[in-house]
Amino acid sequence: MISNASKMATDSPRSPSLWVPKTVVIRKITPEVENVATYHLAFTDADAAASYRFKPGQFNMLYMPGVGESAISISGDPESPELLDHTIRVAGNVTRGLTQLKPGDTLGLRGPFGSSWPMEQCVGRDVLLVTGGIGLPPLRPAIYQLLKRRQDFGNLHLLYGARSPDVLLHQNEFDDWKRSGLTIQKTVDRSVFGWKGNVGVVTLLLERLHSFDPSNTVLFCCGPEVMMRFVARTAFDRGLTAEQIWVSTERNMQCAVGLCGHCQLGPQFICKDGPVFRYDQIAPLLTVEGL
Amino acid sequence: MMAQEIQNVLQELRFSSGLSQEDLQKLASISELVEVPASTVIFSEGDAAADLFLLLGGRVELCMNVPAKGCLPVLTLGAGDLLGWSPALTSGEMTATATTIKDTSAVRFAADKLQRLCEQDHDVGYEVMRRIAIALSKRLVATRLQVLDVFADPMTEGKS
Amino acid sequence: MTLKEENHSEENLPATPHHEVFVAIDGFALLFDVLKSSGFQIVGPTIDQDAIVYDQIDSVDDLPKGWTDVQKPGLYRLNQRNDDKLFGYNVGPHSWKKYLFPPNVALSIGKKNEDGWEFQEAPDDPPKLAFLGVRACELAAIRIQDRVFVGGDYVDSTYQKRRQRILIIAVNCTQAAETCFCTSMDTGPRCTDGFDLALTELDDGFLVEASTPEGKAIVDQLITLEVTRKQQQSAELARQNAVDQIKKRMDTTEIRDLLMSNLEHARWDEVASRCLSCTNCTMVCPTCFCSSVEEVSDLAGENVERRRQWDSCFNLEFSYMNGGVVRDSTRSRYRQWMTHKLATWIDQFGTSGCVGCGRCISWCPVGIDLTEEVAAIRKDAP
Repeated sequence: MISNASKMATDSPRSPSLWVPKTVVIRKITPEVENVATYHLAFTDADAAASYRFKPGQFNMLYMPGVGESAISISGDPESPELLDHTIRVAGNVTRGLTQLKPGDTLGLRGPFGSSWPMEQCVGRDVLLVTGGIGLPPLRPAIYQLLKRRQDFGNLHLLYGARSPDVLLHQNEFDDWKRSGLTIQKTVDRSVFGWKGNVGVVTLLLERLHSFDPSNTVLFCCGPEVMMRFVARTAFDRGLTAEQIWVSTERNMQCAVGLCGHCQLGPQFICKDGPVFRYDQIAPLLTVEGL
Repeated sequence: MMAQEIQNVLQELRFSSGLSQEDLQKLASISELVEVPASTVIFSEGDAAADLFLLLGGRVELCMNVPAKGCLPVLTLGAGDLLGWSPALTSGEMTATATTIKDTSAVRFAADKLQRLCEQDHDVGYEVMRRIAIALSKRLVATRLQVLDVFADPMTEGKS
Repeated sequence: MTLKEENHSEENLPATPHHEVFVAIDGFALLFDVLKSSGFQIVGPTIDQDAIVYDQIDSVDDLPKGWTDVQKPGLYRLNQRNDDKLFGYNVGPHSWKKYLFPPNVALSIGKKNEDGWEFQEAPDDPPKLAFLGVRACELAAIRIQDRVFVGGDYVDSTYQKRRQRILIIAVNCTQAAETCFCTSMDTGPRCTDGFDLALTELDDGFLVEASTPEGKAIVDQLITLEVTRKQQQSAELARQNAVDQIKKRMDTTEIRDLLMSNLEHARWDEVASRCLSCTNCTMVCPTCFCSSVEEVSDLAGENVERRRQWDSCFNLEFSYMNGGVVRDSTRSRYRQWMTHKLATWIDQFGTSGCVGCGRCISWCPVGIDLTEEVAAIRKDAP
């Protein structure tokens, strides 16, 4: 039997279309590293701007007319939604198309969509942010929120891995973040001449990390799936449980609302049940090949 | 005095925590605390295996010599890490060059003494070898992740 | 027009929850006139390319009078009946989803002017449709798609708009195909709810049951007679005949856990060696809802339209992500389809995604039968 909810929905007044994007204008484009840039977007419609709010970890569907849509995490400050930051790596037709645009150009935006980092879980606890590569931008809104209410949290650590020193993101903000009370360790897979920082995967930083209380810690992880699995394993070695770990997953999001089927991972629609999951809810699905 | 201090230090280290006081004492008796200033080469690739270190603080870079590219850093070690596994397992050569990047403190074991201790006392030998195996297995997994190149840019992959 | 449940005060009549009347075969044509004068376009079964499909129909003459279907794994044939029954077959390659969830529909349009891009909803004014000949399994399929498209946090307005404009005239099956297994899925063959009108076909006419005010309003305009005891018995026998003919079974006990704990079962490799990844099963399935959106643009690139089309989890590109494909083998794609349909659908929507209509079995070019696949995995379960 179908629930009464759906009967009511079929009878109810028509819902507004989920499919119509809002127009946004590119205010600024900040080149970050090769193939990565941050697009600062603003709604052209005052009502749309006034009503838009997002939570750390959520994403928008950016729409380049004639090319298509792409799911992009929001990388800016949730308390300043008048300018929406999207840090984008060129990875397909839409993101490549965006590189052709310049400030003043318009595009479409649907969102925000998806689950968010559970900021309320962080209060009174140590927080470990473990990330790699292009996984830092989806955590950036959480960093802003943590630092804005710094006194509400215990020790804050950012462990950040990248392929090589030249592709580390948001370096110009790291000093600010450190001053505001975030300890930061960086590591790279491949060193270059002159790099005196860490070499090795980010799990090694977690293995060595001190000054956190495993029994009173929350870990947020965003990066390639295989990296996140091994971050979780290392976290278990350090005394965390799966219930203390949250990961942000990725699949082919298209409709962003669980109606097109593309982003399924077992029972989960990554777009609407995720992208942020508590690790125990998703872990068994991450090791099945081709799921 | 020195031995007692080392024993206390070993008790706190990830590598040796959980060992009995008796075993810690045996290990302390064949080791010493060392301070190594930044930019010191601790050992070089090809050196005869001589010492094994447990790092207490600081940072050490391991690099491997690649012709025309110099000594390429492959791994950085920090507090709690094992440095120089070759001497514990073989009497051959060091497989990488270790250079301090920061002022570094460590517990140093003379490899021949450590091997002799493990031979003479298999109980402590088993514990030492098991812990070296765990440290190496973690380093192996980390190396696999490096090999997977998980951060590779999908657009430029295969082109470089 | 839409689904509304009546309060069944007459609970002493469970077999016929609503009042039934008899409409003689000669008076059946009047139904078409009444529907049209009530503003409905009629869609229903008709023969096209040697199959009974759903299409716009105009009169009783368009119905597949005197025809039946023969179905087996990988086989669908029409045969002449030895009577003039109008609904003497089961289900064909089409399902009603093509009217509620169109295979190709415009979602939004964008226009570029001097201020940049402007977007709005694509014009969409679907007609009022009367679905004639909806089977019990198909009522279940519509309920499932209602749950998917309008029963969650996000409502699909294209589906909702169409759904609000239909009248459902169901038909009770009086026979079953070899591929039918609705009794296993608890969806039929008896039509119990989710319709405006339900018909049971007899030799000389129909028993007609109205379950909504909209349905009642239609019946009131037909020439009806009181149902005789004999007609009542004949209808019961005919409906029971469908139950008796269903031989295919699927054991759904703990099926979610069964499948999800056997994701690496060898049977997936075995079925992958037969499956052609042709997508037929997903196209004929009355509940499959996967889709993709494509851009349609004018030559200047200043007027664009986003169009949604049916897609299938059997298509290789369906799971494309970041320069790669997640489900790059037929094994992983068949497993996705079947575990979604029978297992994870339950997590997502609180119901199985399968209604037991058997279409995926008949229309599979190599005759893969999902009930056999489930049984093969269950056989090895502890």
